[in-house]
Amino acid sequence: MKDCTPGRIGNEAMNSIAYIIIQLIVILLAAPLVGGLIKKVKALTQKRKGAPVLQMYFDLYKLLQKTSVVSEVSSWIYKAAPYIVFATALTAALLVPVSTKIVPVLIPGDFIMLVSILALGRFFMMAAALDTGSTFGGMGSSREAMISSLIEPSILVTLFTVGLLSGSTSLPRIMQTVQVTGFPLAHPVYMMVGLALLIIIIAETSRIPVDDPSTHLELTMVHEAMILEYSGRHLALLEYGAAVKQLVFITLFVNLFIPHDQLIPFMGFGAVILSLLLYLLKVVLMAVVIALIEVNTVKFKLFSIPNLAALSFILAFLGILQFFILGGYHV
Amino acid sequence: MSENLLETLSVLILLSSFVLMANKRISSYIKSFRIQSMLIALAAGVMGVRSLLDEGRWDILIICILIVVLKVIYIPGLLNRTYASVRYKVEKDFILNIPILVLVCCGLVIFSYFTLVTIDGSSQGMSNMQLVNSVSVIWIGLFFMISRKKALGQIIGFLVIENGLYITAMLATQGMPFIVDLGIFIDLVTFVLIMGMLTFRINDQFDSIDTDQLNNLKG
Repeated sequence: MKDCTPGRIGNEAMNSIAYIIIQLIVILLAAPLVGGLIKKVKALTQKRKGAPVLQMYFDLYKLLQKTSVVSEVSSWIYKAAPYIVFATALTAALLVPVSTKIVPVLIPGDFIMLVSILALGRFFMMAAALDTGSTFGGMGSSREAMISSLIEPSILVTLFTVGLLSGSTSLPRIMQTVQVTGFPLAHPVYMMVGLALLIIIIAETSRIPVDDPSTHLELTMVHEAMILEYSGRHLALLEYGAAVKQLVFITLFVNLFIPHDQLIPFMGFGAVILSLLLYLLKVVLMAVVIALIEVNTVKFKLFSIPNLAALSFILAFLGILQFFILGGYHV
Repeated sequence: MSENLLETLSVLILLSSFVLMANKRISSYIKSFRIQSMLIALAAGVMGVRSLLDEGRWDILIICILIVVLKVIYIPGLLNRTYASVRYKVEKDFILNIPILVLVCCGLVIFSYFTLVTIDGSSQGMSNMQLVNSVSVIWIGLFFMISRKKALGQIIGFLVIENGLYITAMLATQGMPFIVDLGIFIDLVTFVLIMGMLTFRINDQFDSIDTDQLNNLKG
């Protein structure tokens, strides 16, 4: 853990603050891009031209100009929820380093914290959707509660497995260990856990087999139903929070299973820039992969989602089992 | 290197039997059986190349080619032809629902781990621990056979048990004697031919391949 005692700001602490700022800027700038990229790839595979990749920035800008309409019967939860959702997403983003050359926040018990912070945001989102008493909000919340309670165990088992492999619960440490593994996806344990995490990403970021992000059809919407009542600034924050959360999960996947920092032999500022560029390349690749999965599958009915969640849990569980079967060795 | 590859392949073979368990279309059963056989052929190929380089033995490579011809091309083709002629394409009535079936399979993996870990010396070499994965494939095949009611599913369950036995024997002994493998293959072909014909007969008699209806034969 870095030594940054308050009151005496050393070089180390300055670096650490600089890293936090770099991390935040990268995540905040790249997050809306991922959604735009996925939409663009989907459009191109369907022989459409599609919206520009930067569309989400324009949307956010437009929404921030408008006033928010708040229902008279709603309580403070309704107004606080967008800010809490956005803040939890940003805090989660600080726990997942975009590159092991930049390690923003080191705390013990990292990934348990990550999962609980995201759960806090989700809780407030569901509570706010229930708050105004509209039918869609309640329906969306109940669906979201079901999906998230099914998916959460597999996130924890997945992260515990990679934690066991590297002997630490701290995400930066785990990512540093993965650097020396070589290509982790060829390793039996990481392979299973990687597949489990891919399913988790699809479920958590409201992608097509679980939730359709582009429609407002009452049969299919989960995330959209919860934010249906919001407008203006609040809606912008919720949309932005969802985009940041999506990028956090993608970052988790690419940095755990496609490590790149060992490719850069030198240290210093140049290495950080190069590392960030490689990271962005990986995110773009991942966005294309997610878009292709989305194009090639159909939306599941709600009661088929437990099958998918069970599959993801079992993959993670088999991963942890393989860790013990194959001798419990540290990579 | 080859040890690592075999480890990965044994995990993938285990995973393919889970995929089989999670399916409910009979055509997907055949597809996943084909994938599993392909992975087994790959494992046999890896071992064959290794034994050729180390000891100059050709027999495992020949076995690998036999697996490709028989289990990847011939038997799935035969099953597909049978599938095309029966009316039931989707398995509908399981004894339990699919997530629970798959969770039970997970329990079977733990079970085989605990049974094998008590054998003396099994925890020393890593290659011996690949046995857990392959023994689990046998259990899952058995469980697949009893959880499906249609004759085609049961045939595939039997073939998966056979795949599991085969990969277990191969990983444990680093290649069985050639004559034993040949005997197994001939048995297998006979079994599939007989079961294929039997399925046609069941389909003719009962207009369905549901083996539960065989209970009607009781006097």
